[in-house]
Amino acid sequence: MKIKWFLILTIGVFIAACNNSGNNNGDEDKNGFDQMDNLEHAKKVRKIFYNVPSPIEMASLLQRSGAQYVPDILNSPTKQPDYITLTKQALNLGVYGTDLSYVRLFDQINMSIKYLQSIKHLCDELNIPEAQGSLALSRLEENIENRDSILQIISETYSSADTYLKENGRGNTATLIIMGGWVEALYIATNIIVFEGELSSNEIVKRIAEQKYSLNNLIELVKSYPGDKELQTYLQPLYDLQKSYEKVEISYTPGEVVTDKVTKTTTINADAKVVITKENIADIKQKIATIRGNIVN
Amino acid sequence: MKAKIIYIALLMVVLPFMLNAQCKGFTKKECIPDLKPYVYNGQLNSAVLNEGDVAELLLTFYSGQDYRILICGQPILGNLEFRLLDTDRNVIFYNKDHDFVKFWDFKSNSTQQLIVQVRVPVGESRSEIVQSGCVSILVGFKE
Repeated sequence: MKIKWFLILTIGVFIAACNNSGNNNGDEDKNGFDQMDNLEHAKKVRKIFYNVPSPIEMASLLQRSGAQYVPDILNSPTKQPDYITLTKQALNLGVYGTDLSYVRLFDQINMSIKYLQSIKHLCDELNIPEAQGSLALSRLEENIENRDSILQIISETYSSADTYLKENGRGNTATLIIMGGWVEALYIATNIIVFEGELSSNEIVKRIAEQKYSLNNLIELVKSYPGDKELQTYLQPLYDLQKSYEKVEISYTPGEVVTDKVTKTTTINADAKVVITKENIADIKQKIATIRGNIVN
Repeated sequence: MKAKIIYIALLMVVLPFMLNAQCKGFTKKECIPDLKPYVYNGQLNSAVLNEGDVAELLLTFYSGQDYRILICGQPILGNLEFRLLDTDRNVIFYNKDHDFVKFWDFKSNSTQQLIVQVRVPVGESRSEIVQSGCVSILVGFKE
């Protein structure tokens, strides 16, 4: 009798869970996006995701902008034991991810190992299981001479951590890691600029200006975890930074879109004009330094 | 009776986590390998969606960077539709024009904010049980 009740209840709850589509009213179109207007789309958007450049992507963008190696501005890996709270540990896991990605691009093997060890400790402190994160880190130590392997394993480590945290209802912690990584990258960028020639043709200046978009995505991401009070304390400083970015103008003119069916590639030709001054950069630099100071100190 | 109520309450609490965990396991095993040779950006965008549901991903495409967008869903959901839109909602790419391909590569000569939009098709059958399953939107880039 008990088994019968168990089965009935389990099936009942399962059907209820599977049939929870409030948006399905039996009159759905079957023709896809092109038959739906914007209002209808808005009603059917079940989930919105926001992505912010990862530590690896940010480091890659900096390198392609001609960034120089300035190790003194990085967060020392020896500070890892100072990070006691889960919030600080997660934020600095992101910070160290960017620092590691940065030193790796300049083939700094000894520094890579030091950052690696700190990252491993922080993963342990955050209870990110060895199979998901730290095991990959062990492999990094074995492959430390190989730059491509390091890239692969950094990528595995951070994606495994993100997956593990989100799977276990800790998306807020994953957001802290992403935020720490992004803040560190913008801090590095604002501290390695060499003002030579036209400001508008300076690649690092352009990259700093373009973070206006990613900052908006980051703010939306942080806002999506209203229950994490510590994470929310970073919202106001991010809004302050956003105010500085309001003075940075990026005008965009759509151009031709070329799709190559053979290579399965679409090239988006558009014209973007960035207007940013040295004063704007100084303002952004000061604000990101304050945010970063609260993270690493 | 009390035991039954407790059981139902527990099941209602645990079930969403069970469905979500199933979703994430699916993504790691079935989807991420298809991003190669691109480097996965490490941000898992997965959700359990029903027929007719739409999910959107907002991200920045940086100039000169090559990107791969991969849409991955459980087979029960059928051919997922995906579009790439600019912020004025102009359609840049629509996979319906390319046999509902799962991934496509993009490059932009200027940095811009773009929207990846994914829709789960509505099935032919008018069953009372709405099909639902995991959908992931993954992004890779070339270093």
